[in-house]
Amino acid sequence: METPIRSEAQRRADEIAIFQAELARLEAEGVLRLDPAQQQAVREHHAALLAGFAGRFDIDRDAQARQLSLGMRVASFLGALALAASVFFLFYQFWGHFDETAQVAILLGAALGSMALTVWIQTRDASGYFTKLAALVAFACFVLNLSMLGQIFNITPTDRALLPWAALAFLLAYACDLRLLLAAGICCVIAFVAARVGTWSGVYWLHTGERPENFFPVAALLFAVPALVAHRRLSGFAPIYRIFGLLCLLLPMLVLGHWGWGSYLAGYEGFETRTIEGGYELAGFVASALAIWVGARRQWSDTVNTGITFFVIFLYTKFFDWWWDVMPKYLFFLVLGLAAILILLVLKRLRRLGRNAGEGAP
Amino acid sequence: MKLTPWKTLAAGALLILLANAVALTGVYLNRSGEADSRLTLSQRELTMPWGWGMTGENSGMALALNWRVADASAGEYYGGGFGRGGGTPDWLDTERMAALGFDTAELSAGTAGRRRIERALPREVLLVLELAGPAWQQAQERARQNAARHEAARLANADSKEFAEKAKRAQEQLQREENLNSRLFAIDAGLDRAALRAKYPGRSRYLILKGTVRPRVATYEKKTRVTGYVSALAVAQINVPHALRPLLEPVLRTPRRMADGSGAHFEAVLAVGQRLEPWLESVLVTR
Repeated sequence: METPIRSEAQRRADEIAIFQAELARLEAEGVLRLDPAQQQAVREHHAALLAGFAGRFDIDRDAQARQLSLGMRVASFLGALALAASVFFLFYQFWGHFDETAQVAILLGAALGSMALTVWIQTRDASGYFTKLAALVAFACFVLNLSMLGQIFNITPTDRALLPWAALAFLLAYACDLRLLLAAGICCVIAFVAARVGTWSGVYWLHTGERPENFFPVAALLFAVPALVAHRRLSGFAPIYRIFGLLCLLLPMLVLGHWGWGSYLAGYEGFETRTIEGGYELAGFVASALAIWVGARRQWSDTVNTGITFFVIFLYTKFFDWWWDVMPKYLFFLVLGLAAILILLVLKRLRRLGRNAGEGAP
Repeated sequence: MKLTPWKTLAAGALLILLANAVALTGVYLNRSGEADSRLTLSQRELTMPWGWGMTGENSGMALALNWRVADASAGEYYGGGFGRGGGTPDWLDTERMAALGFDTAELSAGTAGRRRIERALPREVLLVLELAGPAWQQAQERARQNAARHEAARLANADSKEFAEKAKRAQEQLQREENLNSRLFAIDAGLDRAALRAKYPGRSRYLILKGTVRPRVATYEKKTRVTGYVSALAVAQINVPHALRPLLEPVLRTPRRMADGSGAHFEAVLAVGQRLEPWLESVLVTR
């Protein structure tokens, strides 16, 4: 059997807990009763599995441990951000006191040292929290490394620096099972692809964000990744790709729905700013509704939730445009509330349809 | 493939070393061979960047390259020496903008075409910067004429405080132009480096640097034309090497330079390499 990673072990432990609870309920209701030998075999098998997981991965074995884990996740995330910021400011505080050779040696040494430290911690940290801290510091050191080389030697800023940053973030994310580093790597890829798309039309890469449509190709790319590359063993990776893919599609649509002047289409015959804004508002509604539909069919809760969030934002901003000035405030908020109830009813129906389809499936 | 800790470390270390090697090889290639240009600049062209060192959190030191554009449309107080924000020079005309890759023919498409030009984003170009050349002399001459005109107006209106104030300001501007303002002017732009160097062969007078230009539509004497706005240099700040800091630090710590030219003076040799990336070679404190 292949050695599981922490997230897999945690999922299996959760499933064992659910199974045990349900088995106890079935026994109490007289539906099912395992004979003593079977009970013993199941108990021993589960105990051995959980002991193995706990020894290797420091998994949460009960609800209390799970609650504490959530707190630890938040603490390690904030700590990782703070440590990464600290590395930046530490270097800025003292780098002027060294000559260029020492500056390069410190930058390179910090990047390599923090990378080695991350790997060393990974082999000893069953919980994964300290690995996350070290990995983000390693990523920050590498970002600092290349950006400071640019500053020390007056190198022309280039979008190509985003590639090695993304590569290191992905390496750490996949090797250490870290979703935070995956998000960092995806952000680098988003910036790089959008910059490249912008430069196709000759635009200087730092201005590529001024045309939100430059983010559409990377949206398709990110959404396609989990479909092309299986992430069965890395829980939470596929949803992160899908969420960032949707953000790269729906956020530019939201922006262009209110700022048609920023579109590539602006200025062309038949594409008045208002027409572009209307088109992107409509596209935003359609795209977020499609995300809800696809997510419900494929059982991607991340896609459904992102779709719903943007659908509501598009709807509420539209309501604001139409009625904020003309309606009494009590009526405006009543309409918002009624719209929320309508969305709930639609989603409830969608859920029932999904459940029926699931039951009808062979 | 499962990434073992050793494989992860090896891959990460290789990536870090490779990225550093690529960056440092670029630096080596830039600085190897004969420099593309080497200019002796002064405190007029190299100044502390805005806000630099205000927080005390940054121990490094950099100088901003203070360049200007002869922008006639800016009025009589144009080119106050702080032209890092760019400008719209006369030489950046419709033909030049077309040569830089901008679709100037759009202007004939009426209002829609004009809007398309106005909203076009900046493109990377090669900018030619001239040190103490005809553009600077023109700026000085213009300041002199301006001062003379306002002085004549003051004499003709001896009782007017307004005219006296204007004459005083024009005189101060002339002093700044003669003693304080940058002598480095953006005088041309192109995409072909060899062609630009052939046109401006003086390597101790002309810098070629990467920068950005964005299009504008200007109406002058009832005629609408496409022009360009020189917006920025790709490398706007130049790091001061550690070895040069002891010389520059006392100079840069002295109080703000005055329009009459008093205060600390220095000369710094700025080299630009094969990849058009600049660096400071030497500094000489002259006063």
